Amino acid sequence: MTVEKAARKLGPARRSLWIYHFNASGCNGCDIEFAAALTSRYDIERFGAKLVPSPRHADVLVVTGAVNSLTRDSLRMIYDQMPEPKVVIALGTCACSGGVFDGCYNVAGGVDKVIPVDIYVPGCPPKPDAIVEALARIRGVKERKAVCEVKRGGRGKD
Amino acid sequence: MGAGKIERIEAEPRELPAALSRLRGEGYSHLITITGLDEGDSIGLIYHLARPGGGVAHLHASVAKGGEAPSAIGVFRGAYIYEMEVHDMFGLRFSGNPHMGRRLLLPDCYPEDEPPLLKDTDPGRVREKLFAPGTVCLQGPPVSGLSRYSPESIAVPFGPYHPAFKEPEHFTLIVEGERILDAIPRIGFVHRGVEKAAEQRSYLRDIFLLERICGICSMHHGLTFTLAVEKLLGLEAPERAEYIRTLVAELERIHSHTLWLGLVGYWMGFETMFMWVLTVRETIMDLIELVSGNRVHKSIVTIGGVRRDVEGEKLRRVGEKIRGFEKEFSRLIGDILSLDEFIERTSGIGSYTAEDARALSTVGPVRRAVGDPYDIRKVEPYCAYGDLDFKVVTGDRGDVYSLVQVRAGEVLESIHMVEQIVDHMPPGNPVPKRPFMGVVKPGEAYARTEAPRGELFHYVRSAGKHSPDRVKVRTPTLANIMLAAHALRGQTVSDVPLVITMIDPCFSCMDRVLVADAGSGRRRILTEADFHRMRRRW
Repeated sequence: MTVEKAARKLGPARRSLWIYHFNASGCNGCDIEFAAALTSRYDIERFGAKLVPSPRHADVLVVTGAVNSLTRDSLRMIYDQMPEPKVVIALGTCACSGGVFDGCYNVAGGVDKVIPVDIYVPGCPPKPDAIVEALARIRGVKERKAVCEVKRGGRGKD
Repeated sequence: MGAGKIERIEAEPRELPAALSRLRGEGYSHLITITGLDEGDSIGLIYHLARPGGGVAHLHASVAKGGEAPSAIGVFRGAYIYEMEVHDMFGLRFSGNPHMGRRLLLPDCYPEDEPPLLKDTDPGRVREKLFAPGTVCLQGPPVSGLSRYSPESIAVPFGPYHPAFKEPEHFTLIVEGERILDAIPRIGFVHRGVEKAAEQRSYLRDIFLLERICGICSMHHGLTFTLAVEKLLGLEAPERAEYIRTLVAELERIHSHTLWLGLVGYWMGFETMFMWVLTVRETIMDLIELVSGNRVHKSIVTIGGVRRDVEGEKLRRVGEKIRGFEKEFSRLIGDILSLDEFIERTSGIGSYTAEDARALSTVGPVRRAVGDPYDIRKVEPYCAYGDLDFKVVTGDRGDVYSLVQVRAGEVLESIHMVEQIVDHMPPGNPVPKRPFMGVVKPGEAYARTEAPRGELFHYVRSAGKHSPDRVKVRTPTLANIMLAAHALRGQTVSDVPLVITMIDPCFSCMDRVLVADAGSGRRRILTEADFHRMRRRW
């Protein structure tokens, strides 16, 4: 499914995206880049996005890391707890496909082995820019150019 | 040197405790880890012991498969965790260790008869069993025998997915009112099976795999593995490569410590500090990107050198920007450490003594915060650390406040090191002509480095093939997690995130812990279907 489909799924109401972050055996790389996207330089809050502590409040589930035997059941439960409509973002190569850990004895593979994924953001880890872009496009900022311009404005002189 | 070939001291299995206490008497007071090896008919055990002032000894014993080895917990209190790891990975039992039979890293549903690191265990077959439909691996906390604490005590599960944790981990807190009487961690939620995967990839690909053990100290994993492999090959990297490695290692330390500082602010409810610190940190992320081309997994180290040179213009910019960062960081840390609220919220929280730190074999800033200057960069200098002028920062009282001081001091020292490297970068070509694709002669070597969180240890054994025969990783968080559990005792529930953050845990790295004792007692694991049946209808 594409970003645009995910945007349609959330409906015409231009809601603020509340995000629940789930680490399914990631290496922390995607997690810290996701944290960087929350802070002032990348600032995903300007699209109304914010991190919530409970999946029951979330519109978007961001999953990092490949799924292993212990996180598999939790991931499914957390997905079930989220209210409709919901969007799942697989953040990073491991979440997309299992990445470098595909084939390890304790790794099932990508997130789509367990729950349906709407948007794949590959990269090891994806730069915060990519995370910002994915969220901005779901939120309805359609043109890539707009996202990039905002981004550059936030990056200071460089 | 922080790396070397291994000269084994042989021992009979039954003499192990005696041999260990003899070595301990000779000054080898720090148990780094225990490495298990599949030797065909038997399981080899190598006990890596270090002297605080430098020098590592390797004690080896072979135990028949299915046999038992005597436990070393009488000599080294922290040994039981490493014995549990060997038990998990090789199925070997240690007599005298009360935690045998309980999983450390592996899920409880892991098949008993196929210890993952035995050579004839096929990962594909294990996967099929683990992920067969209907297998439930999610487990409840190991709680029973509560009455031994006090009649009023109750067990509070904390995690694995909790708003106060960034990574999945589970703590069972035994509390009496707000006071914590005991804390029992259960880890393994991020276990992927990296050591097994490393045996199936070539040396070059292993660097990229091992970097992905952890996204924060990524470069140190690649570096430590490379140092060990270079020892096996009898290869030395060019001087300029050593300097570039040191440059990236120190930038990584700055980024890791500032991230930690931000998280301390976050967990104490001081979100402004979190935002401020992470904004300042972006300068370092830019420098890492400038030097290595990547923000997180630097992938700059390769066998025999580095993957790309850092030319004059880039070096000049690094020097310029790091001076700007120093100014910003000094102002930031000055402001933070002068806030009364900050001092009161961190002083005396999670306090521990130097004796605790030593007995539990802690490493890194956690150990230095109680005045013990144990730093591999000084003890056994590797890369360019021998040429650089820096001091080991120590604190005087172990608590969150002194750890903030120590880590802030280390950031400033790292900045000075980066400046020195920029000024004294030796000439030459640091990039090998071709990436290493060959065979490594049979042998075994170890390397240890000072990662941001403390001593990182890699053991590499070659059987003369394209891929290593065994890779063993001991990460600093595994050595330190015991201390966090210890320091939680007597604290209040509201301090839990701060105390656990204190050691700068990296569960992706460690992925190897369960402490605990809570009696045995069979407990039932509830399946998801059970929950659905039991849940309240709303």
